[in-house]
Amino acid sequence: MSAAMKAPDVRDEYLASLAPDANLLAGPGPDWLNALRAEAATCVNSLPYPTTHDEEWRFTDFGLLRKTVFASAADISPEVSLADIAPFILPESEKSRLVFVNGIYAPHLSACAGLPQGVVMSNLAAGLSSHDAVIRAHLAQQLDFHNEAFAALNTCHIRDGALVLIAKDTVCPAPIHLLFIATGDDAQGCASVGRLQHPASGDTRASMHVAGGRMPGATAQQASYPRCLVIAEAGSTCALIEDYVCLNQGVYFTDAVCEITLGENAAVEHTRLQRESPSAFHMAYGAVALARGSNYTAHNIAFGARISRHDLRITQNGEAAQCTLNGLALISGRQIADTHTVMDHAKPNGQSTQLHKCIADGGAHAVFNGKIFVRKDAQHTHAAQQSRNLLLSNKARIDTKPQLEIFADDVKCAHGATVSQLETEEMFYLNSRGLSPLTARNLLIYAFAEEIVDRIPVTSLIKQLSKTLSEQILEHT
Amino acid sequence: MSTTLEALINRPYEYGFVTDIESDAIPKGLSEDVVRLISKKKNEPDWLLEFRLSAYRHWLTMTEPVWANVSHAKIDYQNIIYYSAPKPKKKLASMDEVDPELLRTFEKLGVPMHERKMLANVAVDVIFDSVSVTTTYKEKLAEVGIIFCSFSEAVQHHPDLVKQYLGSVVPSADNFFAALNSAVFTDGSFCYIPKNTKCPMDLSTYFRINNAESGQFERTLIIAEEGSHVSYLEGCTAPRFDTNQLHAAVVELVVLDNAEIKYSTVQNWYAGDENGVGGIYNFVTKRGLCKGVNSKISWTQVETGSAITWKYPSCVLLGDNSIGEFYSVALTNHHQQADTGTKMIHIGKNTRSRIVSKGISAGQSNNSYRGLVKVGAKADGARNYSQCDSMLIGSVCGAHTFPYIEVMNSTAKVEHEASTSRIGEDQMFYFASRGIGGEEAVSMIINGFCKEVFNHLPMEFAVEATKLLGLKLEGSVG
Repeated sequence: MSAAMKAPDVRDEYLASLAPDANLLAGPGPDWLNALRAEAATCVNSLPYPTTHDEEWRFTDFGLLRKTVFASAADISPEVSLADIAPFILPESEKSRLVFVNGIYAPHLSACAGLPQGVVMSNLAAGLSSHDAVIRAHLAQQLDFHNEAFAALNTCHIRDGALVLIAKDTVCPAPIHLLFIATGDDAQGCASVGRLQHPASGDTRASMHVAGGRMPGATAQQASYPRCLVIAEAGSTCALIEDYVCLNQGVYFTDAVCEITLGENAAVEHTRLQRESPSAFHMAYGAVALARGSNYTAHNIAFGARISRHDLRITQNGEAAQCTLNGLALISGRQIADTHTVMDHAKPNGQSTQLHKCIADGGAHAVFNGKIFVRKDAQHTHAAQQSRNLLLSNKARIDTKPQLEIFADDVKCAHGATVSQLETEEMFYLNSRGLSPLTARNLLIYAFAEEIVDRIPVTSLIKQLSKTLSEQILEHT
Repeated sequence: MSTTLEALINRPYEYGFVTDIESDAIPKGLSEDVVRLISKKKNEPDWLLEFRLSAYRHWLTMTEPVWANVSHAKIDYQNIIYYSAPKPKKKLASMDEVDPELLRTFEKLGVPMHERKMLANVAVDVIFDSVSVTTTYKEKLAEVGIIFCSFSEAVQHHPDLVKQYLGSVVPSADNFFAALNSAVFTDGSFCYIPKNTKCPMDLSTYFRINNAESGQFERTLIIAEEGSHVSYLEGCTAPRFDTNQLHAAVVELVVLDNAEIKYSTVQNWYAGDENGVGGIYNFVTKRGLCKGVNSKISWTQVETGSAITWKYPSCVLLGDNSIGEFYSVALTNHHQQADTGTKMIHIGKNTRSRIVSKGISAGQSNNSYRGLVKVGAKADGARNYSQCDSMLIGSVCGAHTFPYIEVMNSTAKVEHEASTSRIGEDQMFYFASRGIGGEEAVSMIINGFCKEVFNHLPMEFAVEATKLLGLKLEGSVG
């Protein structure tokens, strides 16, 4: 609705400054990809910058991003060694890992040997030579970027990305780990490519907030545009871990898009971790298409970033598809974490279950907007959604909007939302058993968050995240 | 049977109303001169004219809101007559002259005999003299110091009260339709309950002679002083037909320390025919301010009419320990559209609010619940519970829920839940197997679904509302 209201051709100088130059637009890859990038660039130039006056952006003010100058970090190839990424390596995915540094494939860090036949894990750039037809048929097809400025921005930057193809009736034995590393403002300096030509500078923090928006002389921070394309053909099964991490604390911008297509009776379990630097900007779009009888499970965990936003749209294009969405945002300080999900039941007999939890401490601001559509034909749909929120400080804020739009009568739909603090009864119970108020508090917060983390199918990752959880909770107290 | 009734409900009532109203009407269109003319015709003081003019000037700078989940053709604000003197009515001599089908509707609804006569515009002097009844009531109210009169009367006789409270809850620039209303409102009702007074009866629009035709731009102001209590009823269950397409009313409630206002509405305006042609656009701004400590506002509404309803009775919970309640049943059939709900704004400490909303969609209609629960940073101990249930009848209607929850205080507790259900074939079969016919079964199911809301209506209203819903839905199931 809001998209229709937007006036066309509102060229936004800031967005335009982020778009790649003509060389890159007509850069690597086949002609159809050039055309796609050009189309996306046109959208970037004609879409307005989203503000809190847009209904879909009402609670999340991305104005701070505007005050920072960014340039694509794709062409700087910082030296990242296996030792650098050791903390993020998962033993389960020892042989099924793709690593991307600032959105560009890093073969020396990746490992995809010994995969069974029928599982293709590669980078998009390389995949274009061997799987051109499949990529062409799916890339930018699930996600409509025409009304989403930042999805268009990612699309016009497509050069590389992750490509996962699971052939018919193939079961991928190990979880596929897609590790996206942002280098941030380390010793490599900052981006020196893109439209803004700037000398590398040692101290980039000074230019964090450029008054009055884009300033030609300012130092640009790094921006990366990770892209994932996952196709699980009929009857296939795989577990996927989409992981955003950083090596250095610093200001940078990640604008990611992930598209997943499930064939008939396929099953994908998708864990998405956002653990960016606390001063980073993270914008991400996910689009999932489900065919008849397929099953999609998502675990979306957000710990990091100064301002993050995740837009996830799931469409049940076939009958009897099933979805489970779990979400957790644990934030503090001045962080903002926004999750927008759309669960679109377009066909009958579908099911969806969603549980989203937010924990906001300090001056943090958590936003959740979960839409469930049940289309006219989608009779016998069963949809349940819960938004549970824990507000730990008087300066923190939670905005939640569970939304139901139902056009079929024979359906079962329910949603619930709660915002609360820790229960005094529970605190009292733990205190009476000798736990100090602080320990009791931390234990309760941990338990609240752990419910989501525990659902992740990878044991080593649960351990990693549980550790992060306890550290973060301790840090906040 | 059911088709006849449906036709009856939706047909314009052509008896009794005189259509020729040109005699004391001003030309179509809106301008500063029209605003001045309205004010002059009503012999208003200068401050009220200023209030109207500033609202009008602000209105010019505003654009019509488009966020509501409704669609309609653009309204031409210059094609509306903004002032006409109360329409003269031709009195009918006896009930025999009344359209028999309308009588049957009354029968079904169980409207009391004397009210039937009033509603059918039959002179009631014979059995039940409305004037004397009204006078008795007015005397009774005056005894305890309650002021209950038309808005115009209040402006003339109690200007200080009106000046003090008018626009204090809904500012003239609040929204597009409130600004329009503030500029051109013609009449409405005014009610003032003095300190520590419990209003001895339910105040109802039935018993007001001056305000039978409340008009297109109605303005209601109710003030409950410290420790007072009043229950106010608006509207009626019988179908009401009106030639005005756009209705933009404003209702303001002010509640001081330890006082309570209970405001109940039953709305059954003309909803257009089964093809969605015609019908009233009901764009209303209703808001109550719980100004004092321990104050309470309770809104109860049963919305069954109007082609488009756009209405959010709200509570601003400013005083500590104040309570806001909202109980709503919204029914849409055919091509009706309803976007209704509430706003609970918690500002004071230990404020509580409760929302119970029941939406029923049938035919090709769309029914939306849109609610806001906002807890400010200083509203320690705020508590909200919301429940909104939808029922769909048929496969081409829509039910939508847009609950906004914004919490800025960590001691607040907010809960929201929503569900959908339907009248299924299995339920109908169950009733049928026990010898209960379709019509009655629907009525019983709906009654059960809405019970929580009907419990908060004054008794006579509740009985009629139950029957009304059954009547509106006839022919929709089975």
